[in-house]
Amino acid sequence: MDPPIGGVSRWLRGSFGLAGRWLLGGLGTSRRIGAFTLIALGTLVTKFGASPRVIRPRAQNEILRAGVNVLPIVCFLGIALGVVIVGQTVLLLVQVGQTKLMGPLLVTVVIRELAPLTASMVVLARVGTAAVTELGTSRAVGEVEALEALGIDPIHYLVVPRLIGFTVSIVCLTVYMILSALVAGYVVAFFRGLPMGPTQFFRGVADALSWVDFPLLALKTVAFGVLTSMIICYHGLADPLRLEDIGRATTRTVAHTLVASLVVDALFLPVYLLL
Amino acid sequence: MSNVTVVQSRSPRLPVVSGVDWDVRQGECWVVTGLQGSGKTALLETAAGLRPYSEGQVQVFGTPVQGAESDEVAQVRRRIGLVFDGHGRLFGAETVLENVALPLCYHANRSLEDVSEEVMSFLKLLGLEGWANQAAGRIGRAWAHRVALARALILRPDLLLIDNPLTALDASHVRWWRYFLVRLLEGHPGLGGKPMTLVLATDEPRSLLSIGQKFAVTHGGKWRCVGGRAEFEQCDDPELRELLDDKD
Repeated sequence: MDPPIGGVSRWLRGSFGLAGRWLLGGLGTSRRIGAFTLIALGTLVTKFGASPRVIRPRAQNEILRAGVNVLPIVCFLGIALGVVIVGQTVLLLVQVGQTKLMGPLLVTVVIRELAPLTASMVVLARVGTAAVTELGTSRAVGEVEALEALGIDPIHYLVVPRLIGFTVSIVCLTVYMILSALVAGYVVAFFRGLPMGPTQFFRGVADALSWVDFPLLALKTVAFGVLTSMIICYHGLADPLRLEDIGRATTRTVAHTLVASLVVDALFLPVYLLL
Repeated sequence: MSNVTVVQSRSPRLPVVSGVDWDVRQGECWVVTGLQGSGKTALLETAAGLRPYSEGQVQVFGTPVQGAESDEVAQVRRRIGLVFDGHGRLFGAETVLENVALPLCYHANRSLEDVSEEVMSFLKLLGLEGWANQAAGRIGRAWAHRVALARALILRPDLLLIDNPLTALDASHVRWWRYFLVRLLEGHPGLGGKPMTLVLATDEPRSLLSIGQKFAVTHGGKWRCVGGRAEFEQCDDPELRELLDDKD
């Protein structure tokens, strides 16, 4: 029988080994997704004007799928967010006599954090998972090789429209989510006795915004859009897939997008703290 | 191809066919034969610049191709038509018309409306006008293979590679394919009248004996150019006889 210290040592070695493998695996995946993103962005730039009559309708179709069709859900979630968070927060601030904090609080919670993250998660759940399946199936049945055989760059034809469509959609959906959350929040708070007119309420929010918030919000939502679309396309296309791998690729996509979005979100934190 | 080793696409270190020395001249019709799984498809994909290879050099129209994406390789690919086996790897969710129109729309930057008339007349040429608005994933194998041929021909390639053109077809489709392949070799008037270079891969060489001018075999991971039709039919190599003879 091993002495207890040997067992602990083995357990520690095993745990560190496992953590190390997990970390290295994560770094490897990040590196591959990063390389894939650079290739896709390079293709977007170098073939910007190539075949617009084919690529533009495909990008428009992606905006329709990931943006216009998702708009009702995003507005619904925005209203729910407004009712649950904004309405209650505003009333609580009124009760404790801190209405001057209302603007900064809403800007921080809704505009800077919740709206971009929620919009990208909705796009991931509603369209992203379906896109992984579509791309994975295309890859598995050899449609990607068929495109190459026709002299068509699969990145240009399959990835660039999704990159454009998802990014534009997440940027626009974030704006709609912010507006619906603030409006719904104000309406709920007003009917529960908020002693404040709409002009005063929205001026409070506007005063708490600085000019830097606008480019930062645009940058953040664009980053979420690029990240979401690239992780989706990477898992759909870049792995050598068989049909039975598609389910696993889809779950990996959701997990990786969630983690990557939170990491990007955290990267913006120091910038916001400096404001 | 000069001393090329064709490899597996998923495992590029594993050779499929080695020692491929192959020179295809303009206007020739080659039949590459071998048992199923002997590497014929891999060879065609390598020749089309779709698959990396581990040794030697592949040159198509004087341009080295190594699977890597570059503008030069993309230009070469437009001069090659490749018809895949089975359903021809059509885009199943799109219609036959959209499938055939895609290369034309993409490379000429034209909308589907702009090219639909031209594509319809092209489909008529191949007897496919009745399928134009059907989803490609819903049509039978024989017709799908013909749609794949139409898609490969729409850019008027100089070299056409076809994987198993006559496999699992009924008699009327076989007749049509034989007739059409001969017309392509002679120069189809609907395709500009220029004689086309053909490479046909098959595991049933007897069905292509009347069309093929030169024959090669892949067997046991090796490549062998047999020669013309007479040499191919008279060859007493047991591997070839296995492909040619009906005996059990």
